[in-house]
Amino acid sequence: MTFPILSSILLAPVIGLFAILLTPRKYETLIRLIGLVAAAITLVLSIRLCFLFNAQDPAFQFVENIEWIKSYGINYSNAVDGLNISMILLTSIVIFCGVLVSWTITFRVKDFFANMLFLVSGVFGVFMTTNLFFFFLFYEIAVIPMYLLIVIWGSTNKQYAAMKLTLYLLLGSALMFAGFLYMYSLPGGHTFDLVALKQNVSFSPEIQKILFLGLFLGFGVLAACFPFHVWSPDGHVAAPTAASMLHAGVLMKLGAYGILRVAVYLLPQGAHYWAPTIAVLSLCNIVYGAMVATQQKDLKFIIGYSSVSHMGIVLLGIATMTPIGFNGAIFQMFSHGLMTALFFACVGWIYDGCHTRMLDELGGLSKKAPVISTFFIIAGLCGLGLPGMGSFVAELLVTIAAVSTYPIIGIISILALLITAYYVLSAVQKAFYGPFNHHHEHFTDINFFQFIPRAILVGCLIFFGVFPQIFIQWISVSTRALLGV
Amino acid sequence: MNFSLSLFIPETLTLIFSAIVFFMTLFKKETIEKTLHPFMIFCALVLAAGSFYSIRFHGTLFYDSYKVDLLSQGFKFILSIAFLLTVLFSEKPISIGQARRVEYFLFLLSSTLGMMMIVSSVNLLMLYLALELSSYSLYLLSALRQDSRTAEASVKYIIFGAAASGVMLWGFSLITGLSGTISLFEIAKNIPTLILEPIFLVGLLFASFAFLFKLSGFPAHFWAPDVYESAATPVTNFIATASKAAAVAILIRIFMVMGVPPKFVTILGVLAFISMTLGNCVALVQQDVKRLLAYSSIAQAGYILVGLLSGSAEGYSSGFFYAFAYVLMNAGAFLAVILVAQALDHDNPQISHFDGLAERSPFLSLLLLLSLLSLAGIPPLVGFTGKWILFSAAMDKGHWFLVLWGVINSVVSLFYYLTIVKHAYLEKPKNTAPIILNFTTRVLGLALFCALVFLGIFPNTFIRFAQQAISASGLL
Repeated sequence: MTFPILSSILLAPVIGLFAILLTPRKYETLIRLIGLVAAAITLVLSIRLCFLFNAQDPAFQFVENIEWIKSYGINYSNAVDGLNISMILLTSIVIFCGVLVSWTITFRVKDFFANMLFLVSGVFGVFMTTNLFFFFLFYEIAVIPMYLLIVIWGSTNKQYAAMKLTLYLLLGSALMFAGFLYMYSLPGGHTFDLVALKQNVSFSPEIQKILFLGLFLGFGVLAACFPFHVWSPDGHVAAPTAASMLHAGVLMKLGAYGILRVAVYLLPQGAHYWAPTIAVLSLCNIVYGAMVATQQKDLKFIIGYSSVSHMGIVLLGIATMTPIGFNGAIFQMFSHGLMTALFFACVGWIYDGCHTRMLDELGGLSKKAPVISTFFIIAGLCGLGLPGMGSFVAELLVTIAAVSTYPIIGIISILALLITAYYVLSAVQKAFYGPFNHHHEHFTDINFFQFIPRAILVGCLIFFGVFPQIFIQWISVSTRALLGV
Repeated sequence: MNFSLSLFIPETLTLIFSAIVFFMTLFKKETIEKTLHPFMIFCALVLAAGSFYSIRFHGTLFYDSYKVDLLSQGFKFILSIAFLLTVLFSEKPISIGQARRVEYFLFLLSSTLGMMMIVSSVNLLMLYLALELSSYSLYLLSALRQDSRTAEASVKYIIFGAAASGVMLWGFSLITGLSGTISLFEIAKNIPTLILEPIFLVGLLFASFAFLFKLSGFPAHFWAPDVYESAATPVTNFIATASKAAAVAILIRIFMVMGVPPKFVTILGVLAFISMTLGNCVALVQQDVKRLLAYSSIAQAGYILVGLLSGSAEGYSSGFFYAFAYVLMNAGAFLAVILVAQALDHDNPQISHFDGLAERSPFLSLLLLLSLLSLAGIPPLVGFTGKWILFSAAMDKGHWFLVLWGVINSVVSLFYYLTIVKHAYLEKPKNTAPIILNFTTRVLGLALFCALVFLGIFPNTFIRFAQQAISASGLL
């Protein structure tokens, strides 16, 4: 039997979680170390996975399959193809950096790291499973710890934000739940296995239309699709730094990934039918998110709304229903994940030092803390799509696909990039340049240890920005297979 | 009649123990004070072992009015577990005085006996007797509370209960009058002709009313909040676990025998819909935790009905599974309620009394968290798996609207469950004294914790058992 690399990635945080639960709460450094080791194992294994991955093969690779509940067609099955390999890599990078960034947490350390590892095991599970039962199971595992993370360690209106986030996401998952069970009940179904459902069930066009709508709404909530995005800025702002990183960086991608993996894969006709609607909604995301971001005073709210706007680019890529659009969407998911993680990692440091995130109360920080300012500015430049950064290539691909499929929407989305440039640059200008606010005299730049996680994120962003063909090569065979072209 | 005592093991054990406890009432309270609780734990363990030992036995007793099969024995095992948990919770029930402890355990035993007989009854008269035995014991149990609210619960319970029994008897008499027999199997043979009679449907509905009463489903739910609130907490726990499991068992048995005619499905669907909605909406505004759990049990009754009305083997077996899950997760929640009530020395803890539970006892609040999330159907806990298979059985029969409504209701329910969690983890406690768990409670809590997680992640064995139980009863 070959080494079950996917299960190992999934089990490393689970084992870490139990190790933390068994460690007495006074050994805080040990608890942090356990978290770090678990995250490091997943990172090493995912990098190894990327090297072993055969990009020319559109079929599932590294398949692991164990019968779980036979009578309901539920198997514990994991597999990797071009759609999820980058997501697994992204998750492990973000959790590794997230653990390092949360080294400064001192309140209820044990509970914090236990929740983080629990959450990330749910995320890994969603990305690698090919069975709808486990998809749903891991999805909810990823949502619930977020409630505790926000409510215990959060800031700014945290109780409201946490409850809003949880109820929104679970309402979305309720639609998924009903959709999955409906697919199970169709003739030829009686299984929750994705591949078996695809092969055995013939979804009639009418059913595809209704089911796709239900699933899209379910996943769309998590992908922050307009008008279901309202939970996301509140949630991002209220969450503690590492949770925001994971949440905006990875969790929101679960929704977009679910649309591709489940809805588009099983219901291609439904996807074609609804694609124009999705395109319009995604344009709302892009423009509306950017417009609102220009009006925000709180750095975290700016990033929160910029996430809404950037997720719109992902959805627009999906809505084009072309291989180029899909490639761009997945690339955008990846680079946006790294970028927002970097954003939140920087804002977290500033908030810890200055105890404010309001633009009016910051100012001239680059004189006092050049390194953290540089990191923030790099993230900002990435956000506005500077060439040489990952998101430039991603946005280019999506806009190329969008202009040829939906010319008007494509052109408006390009113009919206100007708004993005405006709010990013003005935020940078207000917070890091201009007169220095002397309330923040005691604010210090990051130390070397805290430099590492942010440097890793920047490194990945630039690496995939300079060598995008590596990334495109991973995914393009699978996206073509998904579209059947 | 070929009477074999081995088929009757759990009931016989319960009878013997009740007799012993009955004689214990003759002694002075001081002499038995020390031995009573350990003895009851011993009884409960023996009963659980006996039920487990006889789980594969099958046959009929008492002129075919009493059926012992995998279904009944499985439910008897669940009941014995629920009984064991209640006994373990009752070391020092705060609102039941020392003077009444013996009677308390006596009625717990007799009620368990009644419930065990319910799950085996395949004869309308036997069913009625068993139901009354368990119900009357529960009425007395809920009257045992000794502080200011002594008889409130019991009076409400007995009035509503007697009315429900009356309606059920009326239904039974209609069914018997039409079919000319009181044996469920004889009735099952005549179902094809009986089903055409509208009055049979009325009889079935009336009979179901009493079962819904036990399950606390709409429209027979109104007793639950008052009784839950004003009974002593261990008694509430017993009503919420054992009594609900027995109700699911009898519903499964009756539905399997009588079938579920389409019109009946429609009516049950409406009842399930209202049960879910009403239970969850009213629970949102509750402050008394026991009352909140009562409304949550009304909502849960709705979920169970959604599964059962599918009328398929999957539906019944998942009902069986969910009944066991329900016992475990409710017991977990009630354990926390009991310990908080003990620390408070007041048997009606409000949500605000859970403030800062995570600081006072991290383990207890973790158990509470898991039990509540399991009730809300969050993976990877047993309540999630149970709900998944319940709803997939219903979806299989095309009840997509009820399923969708059920899941949306689960989201609503999460709001009030999370409110308790929020109080436990977030609010600052007024009373910072840590809640010390003794050894038994610790082991018990750990066992519940493991059961909730383990059965949620590895449910296959138990699901297979439930499916065997349904197919072994040979009625489908």
